[in-house]
Amino acid sequence: MNFTSDSKILVQGIVEPLGALFAPLMQSYGTQVVAGVSPGHGGQKHQGIAVFDMVEQALSKTGTVDATVIFVDPYEVLDAALEAIAAGIRHIVIITAGVPPMDMVHLVRKAEATETLLVGPNSPGIIVPGQILLGIHPAEFYTPGSIGLISRSGTLTYEIARELTRAGFGQSIGVGIGGDRIVGSSFQQWLQILDEDEPTEAIVLVGEIGGDSEEVAAHYIAEAIDKPVVAYIAGRTAPKGQIMGHAGAIIASQIAGLGADIGTAESKMAAFKQAKIPVAKRPSDIPDLIKKALQPSKRKSQSGSRASKEKE
Amino acid sequence: MDLLEYQAKQLFSQTGIPVLPSQCIDHPKDLKDLKIPYPVVLKSQVLTGGRGKAGGIKFVENTIDAVAAAQTIFHLPIMGKYPEVLLAEAKYDAEQEFYLAVALDRSARCPVLLGSQRGGIEIESNLKHLHQVAVDQEFSLFYARRLALKMGLKGMLIQTVSSMIEKMYRLFIQKDLDLVEINPLAVSFSGELMALDGKVTANDDALGRHADLADLVTKIPTHSPDSETQPSFPGMELVELDGTIAILGNGAGLTMTTIDLVKAAGGKPGLFLNVCGENRHDCPPTLMQERIEYGLDRVSQSRDVKVVLVNLWCNVIACDEVATTIASYFERRSQHNSLPRYVIRLLGRELESAREILTAVEIFVTDDLDTAIDQAVSTASSKR
Repeated sequence: MNFTSDSKILVQGIVEPLGALFAPLMQSYGTQVVAGVSPGHGGQKHQGIAVFDMVEQALSKTGTVDATVIFVDPYEVLDAALEAIAAGIRHIVIITAGVPPMDMVHLVRKAEATETLLVGPNSPGIIVPGQILLGIHPAEFYTPGSIGLISRSGTLTYEIARELTRAGFGQSIGVGIGGDRIVGSSFQQWLQILDEDEPTEAIVLVGEIGGDSEEVAAHYIAEAIDKPVVAYIAGRTAPKGQIMGHAGAIIASQIAGLGADIGTAESKMAAFKQAKIPVAKRPSDIPDLIKKALQPSKRKSQSGSRASKEKE
Repeated sequence: MDLLEYQAKQLFSQTGIPVLPSQCIDHPKDLKDLKIPYPVVLKSQVLTGGRGKAGGIKFVENTIDAVAAAQTIFHLPIMGKYPEVLLAEAKYDAEQEFYLAVALDRSARCPVLLGSQRGGIEIESNLKHLHQVAVDQEFSLFYARRLALKMGLKGMLIQTVSSMIEKMYRLFIQKDLDLVEINPLAVSFSGELMALDGKVTANDDALGRHADLADLVTKIPTHSPDSETQPSFPGMELVELDGTIAILGNGAGLTMTTIDLVKAAGGKPGLFLNVCGENRHDCPPTLMQERIEYGLDRVSQSRDVKVVLVNLWCNVIACDEVATTIASYFERRSQHNSLPRYVIRLLGRELESAREILTAVEIFVTDDLDTAIDQAVSTASSKR
């Protein structure tokens, strides 16, 4: 995965409200939106972008694209993504919130079978500062640099990008993997991508209550990630059993009687602590933790402790 | 959204899952026309567990007892909720009680089948007997048999229980559910199966494409009586805590962070409301100003709230537009009502003119989150 200002991007749902609003913003950041798709609107133009009825028609005009960004209605997301996969697109970013979980189960299986990288749903998308915007991040708060930012949030991601930028830490990439209960790519997938990504020197992982993706990520970092990671968890004081605005952010078991506190902030922080990953108390503490994590002596001792752990 | 037991059983019955003959009772006098022979069980239809322990389930032998029991149950709050309907159901003698469920495993990103031979109220204390099978590819009956074997079933029960699980799975998929649970699943002496109690949780995001479920949901009494008179903005749910600082944010992560920071600074969060991020089809960013105004109104009305902390990232719309919304709300309402104090944190385009608009009506505004938190907490703790 290597998105640059040369990458060619398709927008699905370009005449629908969200697509119509955000496609021009992507374009004005320098993203090459080579075509848009909206069934029934083929032949039109939207802000200078040619609109097609189907993905395959668009690709026959533009040639292959590097990614598609999907803004369609939540009940049309599965179909739009399957259409993109059928047309050979292997990077899909879903901005739309509220895709029914079983549609995602279906889509995730298809993506795994075709080795498609799926981001979202309910995601702000991907930004490579100074290069490309695949989604809705407010670009003015990002600046090019070496910190990889992975998050389950939207606006909270921007908050942290801004803190980093203000402290002089630019970002190599910002990714919102999505706030819905079932999302296309995991923290591990992105940790691996960022670990291999040359410009990235350190990673900020922004989690929240609900599910166990932070716990799994913490374990994975201890096992497989060489670059320093700093974490933040939103919702430490959230009331239990209450949906906090993301379908995925709920501390509760779906199953009656299995009253274990699945998804609590305590469980996530304990997992990070065990993996020796510093957890910021507030967004404005993140730059300091990054600074410490990037100090050469600290890094050496961290990799040393990892090596000794492997020996055990 | 959880459905009531009688609604879950309607779905079971449509799916071919065996349920007992039953009748919904809206009023105690309905029991005079009961079509089910005595003895019957009367069950309070509320959305909370622990009905039996609370006295919401009663066995009755005749009409006189039934009417009296019904009157008692209608007036019995369970976890603060009163039933609007009772379910009268035939009595059943179970030899054994199993637990079966189909749920979504968010980590494995697939449905999961759950089962135990020790169902009923024992399930909570017998978690180690709860077996799981992930449906990691296209469903076929063998997944259900795999669960039956893990549960330790033998002989005919393997087939009958698997077939029950298959029906539950079909219902789960067909209706886009979050959970289908039968507990207890009664097994009679002759090996016949019967769903004695059940739980169905509809997926909120999928309700829009299941008119029948959406219709059932409207029949569930809500705990907030004013919810029907308020304009409806999907996804905007007011959460009530008992503190003095109301919080209005956009985006779940940012709103949760704001609550965490208020608490860490020694403040007590009261109501909070997420006016939504910018990627919802049912409330596009172009409606942001309306949503903010509605949100302000919701959080400003509580008497316990001393400070309203607004934390908004303005991406599509400019800060000065948001500031105008807030200032005009404030001016309009402050003529007639005593309002809480406002602390506004905004980020985005046109921040400077937003600052001028809010400062002109003497509302505190900043672009720094920590400053806003400190201001909100110190204002809430100061004497008015």
